[in-house]
Amino acid sequence: MALRVGAGFKRHSLAPAWRARQTLARDQAIFGYALLLPSAVLIVVLVGVPFLRALWLSFHRKLLGSEDAPWIGLQNYAALLGDATFWQAVKNTFVFTTGSIGIKLALGLAIALILNEALPLRGLWRSIVMLPYAMPTLVSVLVWKWMYNDVAGVLNYLATSAKLSDHPILWLGDPNVAMPAVIAVNVWRGFPFFVITILAGLQTVPQELYDAAKVDGAGVWPRFSQVTLPGILPVAAVTTLFSAILTFNDFSIIWILTQGGPGNATNVLATLTYRISIPGLELGKGVAVSVLMLPILVGLIVLLNRFISRREEMA
Amino acid sequence: MIGHRVQHFGLRAFGWALLAVVLVIALFPPYFMTITAFHPPSLSFSRTPTLFSTDLTLRAFTDLFDKYPYLTWMSNTTLVSVSSTIFSVSVATLAAYSLSRLRYPGRSTLSSAVFFVYLFPSTLLFIPIFIVLNQLHMLDWLPALVAVYLTFSVPFNIWLLKAYFLTIPRELEDAAMVDGATRWQSLMLVVMPLAAPGVAVACIYSFTLAWNEYLYAFTLLSDQTKFTLATGLTKLIFGDVFLWGMIMAGGVLMSAPLLVLYFVAQRWIVAGLSAGAVKG
Repeated sequence: MALRVGAGFKRHSLAPAWRARQTLARDQAIFGYALLLPSAVLIVVLVGVPFLRALWLSFHRKLLGSEDAPWIGLQNYAALLGDATFWQAVKNTFVFTTGSIGIKLALGLAIALILNEALPLRGLWRSIVMLPYAMPTLVSVLVWKWMYNDVAGVLNYLATSAKLSDHPILWLGDPNVAMPAVIAVNVWRGFPFFVITILAGLQTVPQELYDAAKVDGAGVWPRFSQVTLPGILPVAAVTTLFSAILTFNDFSIIWILTQGGPGNATNVLATLTYRISIPGLELGKGVAVSVLMLPILVGLIVLLNRFISRREEMA
Repeated sequence: MIGHRVQHFGLRAFGWALLAVVLVIALFPPYFMTITAFHPPSLSFSRTPTLFSTDLTLRAFTDLFDKYPYLTWMSNTTLVSVSSTIFSVSVATLAAYSLSRLRYPGRSTLSSAVFFVYLFPSTLLFIPIFIVLNQLHMLDWLPALVAVYLTFSVPFNIWLLKAYFLTIPRELEDAAMVDGATRWQSLMLVVMPLAAPGVAVACIYSFTLAWNEYLYAFTLLSDQTKFTLATGLTKLIFGDVFLWGMIMAGGVLMSAPLLVLYFVAQRWIVAGLSAGAVKG
């Protein structure tokens, strides 16, 4: 494995300098590709091949448990685009993603600003805020499912004893409440990520800018909007896009809480894929749902990638 | 490090109140999980939930161990998480070094490709993976699950470690090479020791991702003795009776290793998060 970079010099010691440099560059390239090779093989085999297979499946009528898969062209896609359930899932995905992201960003920003103040016991508060993020997602979802329980759940107990509601609320069973309820779980679990990244962003804002603003007599709001906000905008944008991509793809929170129900009230594209392909047995059509998600996803990833490489260039 | 003080009194009071509310909301679910887990299991059927109690017992835990192969699930999960972490971090370290340090044609395209693959949805991949493993009779085979977990952990680690390698001054390596070290030697003896905190963060995150993973485990495993914690615990809520005491006891045990890991390594994790590199 050890590629002797120095060796190039010896062999070509009499050759012009550019030849030595060229060999050096070639050795470096060989070494670079060699180090990439194991990862590249894994990614091609484990992601590339299944991805092509998924595309192929989406043009076939492939049923779970059946061997033959006749080519049906765009029929899977046509069936989905003509199906109200699909459009409902598109809408739900949009509501779930933007709702979760909006609240996480607002809450994350507010808590980060507060924790950036000189508070007593700040380290302790910060650790507590991290807690939802440190718990396994799955466990958090199970705890929320237990708290949302209609009959014995603690949230109904608190709501009725505080006289907020005179009857038990069907948190996950009422089509109007279920979506806010699953968003709440996503927010609970995800807002610490926003707090921590924005807090890190706040600490890079130079103190001199605040001092200068103060000397100029700027109040709280101008200082926030003209010093703080521009300072944390890049990190907030990256965090938001990141979280948007992961929320857009999220399967486990919704599946465990409601399985997309009641009816289709919380059915997002991720749960629709699963419902069509495993319980519904139509693997080809299920994959087609995910393929239809790709354009938006790819758009978000390209945007994020551009943001991040710009930041790396500046650093 | 110490932030400037906002002098406005009303704003400060509002901030304190908001922080207090958020702290209570952050603490309540883990607290309630713990209280439920250490209760006599019969209490979780009562209409008035127990918010505080000194009547503590380990009954929910012993019931869980008696009725379900919980310890097998835990050892399956540990096995899968540790193997996928070791494998992916080793492979990804080499790739990340290559992408951050060496110059060759196609490097930046490959970098972007890695990023893409990391954010690639598992909802698109689980169906073809399921079909292939089914044909190969490898469903319910844990090494196959380890390989599947590499689909997200390898690109994730490459990306995290690449950012970390960029923070290590190139001059150190150049100096070692001027002194006659080969590139491989300078990677192993100069760069790796400096990259240790980054590698630690990568290990913690890949371990967490595998420990938490649900969709693949849910679709690829059907034999109860092969379950991971995520699938095993979730099966309990989809059963006929809700066994909340046992589920919460299982949740406490599933959270414990991660919570310990997080609070021991909090400083590093915050640094890793700030690199903007992590799942939210």
